[in-house]
Amino acid sequence: MNYITRLKALRGLVLPVLLVLLWDALSRQGATWAYALVPVNTIGAAFVELLGNGELQTNLLASLARTTTGLALGIGFGVTVGVLMALSKVADRLIGPLFHSIRQVPMLGWIPLIAMWFGNGEVSKILIVTLAAFYPMVLNTYEGFSGVDKRYREVGRVLELSRVQQFVYVLLPAAVPSMANGVLHALAFAWVTAVGSELFLSSGPGLGNVMMNAEAGARMEIIVVCVLCIGLCGYLMNLLFSRLSRYVLRWRSIRG
Amino acid sequence: MNAQLKQAPLAAHLALPGALQIQGLSKQYRIEGQPLQVLQNINLNVNPGEFVSIIGASGCGKSTLLRLIVGLDNDYNGDILLDGQRITDTSLERGIVFQDHRLFPWMTVEKNITLALKNQAQSNTEKQQRVAEHIALVGLTGFEQAYPHQLSGGMAQRAAIARALITQPKILLLDEPLGALDALTRVHLQGELQRIWVQQRSTMIMVTHDVEEALYLGDRVIVLDSYPGRIKHEIRVDLPHPRDRAAPELKRLKDELLGELTGH
Repeated sequence: MNYITRLKALRGLVLPVLLVLLWDALSRQGATWAYALVPVNTIGAAFVELLGNGELQTNLLASLARTTTGLALGIGFGVTVGVLMALSKVADRLIGPLFHSIRQVPMLGWIPLIAMWFGNGEVSKILIVTLAAFYPMVLNTYEGFSGVDKRYREVGRVLELSRVQQFVYVLLPAAVPSMANGVLHALAFAWVTAVGSELFLSSGPGLGNVMMNAEAGARMEIIVVCVLCIGLCGYLMNLLFSRLSRYVLRWRSIRG
Repeated sequence: MNAQLKQAPLAAHLALPGALQIQGLSKQYRIEGQPLQVLQNINLNVNPGEFVSIIGASGCGKSTLLRLIVGLDNDYNGDILLDGQRITDTSLERGIVFQDHRLFPWMTVEKNITLALKNQAQSNTEKQQRVAEHIALVGLTGFEQAYPHQLSGGMAQRAAIARALITQPKILLLDEPLGALDALTRVHLQGELQRIWVQQRSTMIMVTHDVEEALYLGDRVIVLDSYPGRIKHEIRVDLPHPRDRAAPELKRLKDELLGELTGH
């Protein structure tokens, strides 16, 4: 790798670095500015403090655990419902209208109702994350399974595959690209709603709770640390899953 | 020819070739409520081990005919019998190679071919051996682990031929198998098909729109007329296989066939 390609690899960092410099410069323009935009070194100090007392790790892990649980449940239910709707006309007619009307309700709209039913504890939060992951998973699974090329189904018939074999060797692999797309969306929604639910249902550990407490204590630097942490984690999860799905889908000729 | 027959490695577990009888076959589609006659009163007997080419302009229903024989469509009038049994559904006794190779893009060449053996009562070792034999038969040794998108059109079609042959069908249907290939690859694969057929001697029916291909490979060439598809003419090619492309008899038959097709 030569000098130029190495520089090119870093170009994604240009904008963030410029923003930090701008933020820092503005925060030095007097007391009002410093109140609105905490100086960068204060943010750095808060980061070290949160790491030192383990608060950041504990709460980050709690948020991640919530995301993972909700995501797993959402994917599980989502795939089941999506497959059912795609492969059975009866299921499609039964579930379709209900599903498509319910999914018009924004996630934030569910929080009050879920809180009244299940309280503001862990169950409610995981339920919200599950629901957030469920929608994109149903939609993409449905699309994947209903879009299977008829020509491939015919090959399955000519080879006398049983229904189960047809599902495992033809329909499922053909639907995987669309499902991977669904997981990518579900992942993003799950992470965002996990933190969001912590902001609304403030009990137990989680990055959202840390932010709410910091707001109450007027500790903007902690809020900023949390925001950065949320953004970075989301980005990393997305990157990781993209890599994984590219490996799983290596049979496709598309490079990306 | 003898040399090629001697090296036939698959003869040990070959199924006996089947006899196909088509009697009074008609097929209609409904397009926007209007009936469209695609095939009309087709009568055709194909002997065990015979290679029959079917040729005709587009719209003569030749692909429809193969879909009926393979069993993907059982909505027809008349009879299609394989060894006396009426065809109602797909069966491993009948294999097909489509114009588009239709290999599953998510499986390697080897997995694609192995899938055809999914419901056969054989040990995995036996299956592996047969897959390897068939990959060698179509000349794809070394490409077992390649995905379809990594293959050229000709190689993908070879893999599709191996997948269709591995179940030892009594009859193999070829639906313009070389139609999408470039001229050079096509000529090469015609030779390969001839070699495979000489080695396997299963009954084969090939649909094509290439007159030379039809004559080079077929024991008989059936000419279909269009709208509705019906048998218009039949030519017997009494030349032993493998054939020489430059044989004067082929040239003469080609002129006859072209005259028949263009109506001169």
